[in-house]
Amino acid sequence: MSPQTTKVGIISCSGEAIPEGTISRLATRRVLELLRPNATVTLCLPLFLAGNEAERNFAKTHPTITIDGCEKQCAKWGTEEHSGPVSSALVVTGILGTRAVGCHRASRDATQPDKEAVWAVAERIAAEVDTVLAETGPRDDIAAGSSGAQCSCSSPASGGKLIVLGVAVSIPGLPLIFEQCVERDIPADTGGCSALVEAVRIYRRILPEEETGYRSALLAAYQAFRSGPQPAK
Amino acid sequence: MGNEPIKNAVLVIPCSGIGKVHGLMSREATYLVTDELAPAQTDTLCLALLVKGDSEAVAAVRSHACITIDGCVKACAEKNVAMAGGRVAKAIQVAEAFKNHRGAKPGNATALTDDGWTITREIADSVACEAASLCASEEAIR
Repeated sequence: MSPQTTKVGIISCSGEAIPEGTISRLATRRVLELLRPNATVTLCLPLFLAGNEAERNFAKTHPTITIDGCEKQCAKWGTEEHSGPVSSALVVTGILGTRAVGCHRASRDATQPDKEAVWAVAERIAAEVDTVLAETGPRDDIAAGSSGAQCSCSSPASGGKLIVLGVAVSIPGLPLIFEQCVERDIPADTGGCSALVEAVRIYRRILPEEETGYRSALLAAYQAFRSGPQPAK
Repeated sequence: MGNEPIKNAVLVIPCSGIGKVHGLMSREATYLVTDELAPAQTDTLCLALLVKGDSEAVAAVRSHACITIDGCVKACAEKNVAMAGGRVAKAIQVAEAFKNHRGAKPGNATALTDDGWTITREIADSVACEAASLCASEEAIR
């Protein structure tokens, strides 16, 4: 497998019976769409039994991370039994501890704690993707989303453009990042600059010498976002 | 089946496919049935448990009537239940529900639009009717 084509597979248990299964599914989607769109692919876990040989070879052809809702670790177990060894195995309850209490299975019941749980798990998965890639090959521009490659099952979220120190910069999913900042009550003034930079830093590397430029560009874009129509909750 | 024993007569098992909106629709339709439309008659379990071969999950699909909801023709839910020796009383394909909604834009694998919820609710209504019919049959047998 050449470094240019290395993508990390993420297999979610998506357990239907428990809220943590919903969190595992949504967090995986968030990594595929937003956090590491050009570095990750996925496959439905049940396809290991119901699918064909190519699908069963998934974990042999991709370094794979499993994300399970509970300690039964069905995704890890199923992947290793039917496909191949995994590079890393995460468990939602292990990441969130008691923060998953009160979360919901159905998306129509989702509240702010559900959304925060999904973000926390997604960020943990993204960090694990980086670790796995660091062990398997280079990862230039993965977070920036500048390569032509895309996740096998969906397109990355639409990006947002900024002018930072006179240079045009595209940040995947910037409107969604701002949406989350609004939900976290991050103010659209200089008091919110540090939080904005930290939120974007998850998705894009910001060098120390660029930080001042990012602060002013992000603040202006965030102010424009907040003055426009807000998406439906 | 998080970790609770299954009490109700009918198991509704979606594929929850992670790559397409149809998988999300299968999942949300299941919750509409088990949580809202027929909570006393239906329950769900983790399909991943069947992939794992968990003995309780295998026993559950063998001892309950199962309605599977699949997002695509690969029919992972139906096939996995069948492979575990379960009773598939009804196998539903989400794509079938689109026949009456040509041009609908249901959303994506992460979130449903109003169109998506409309179709999902139709699927759920159909599953709830089927579950009621299955329960009535089982009562009649007793």
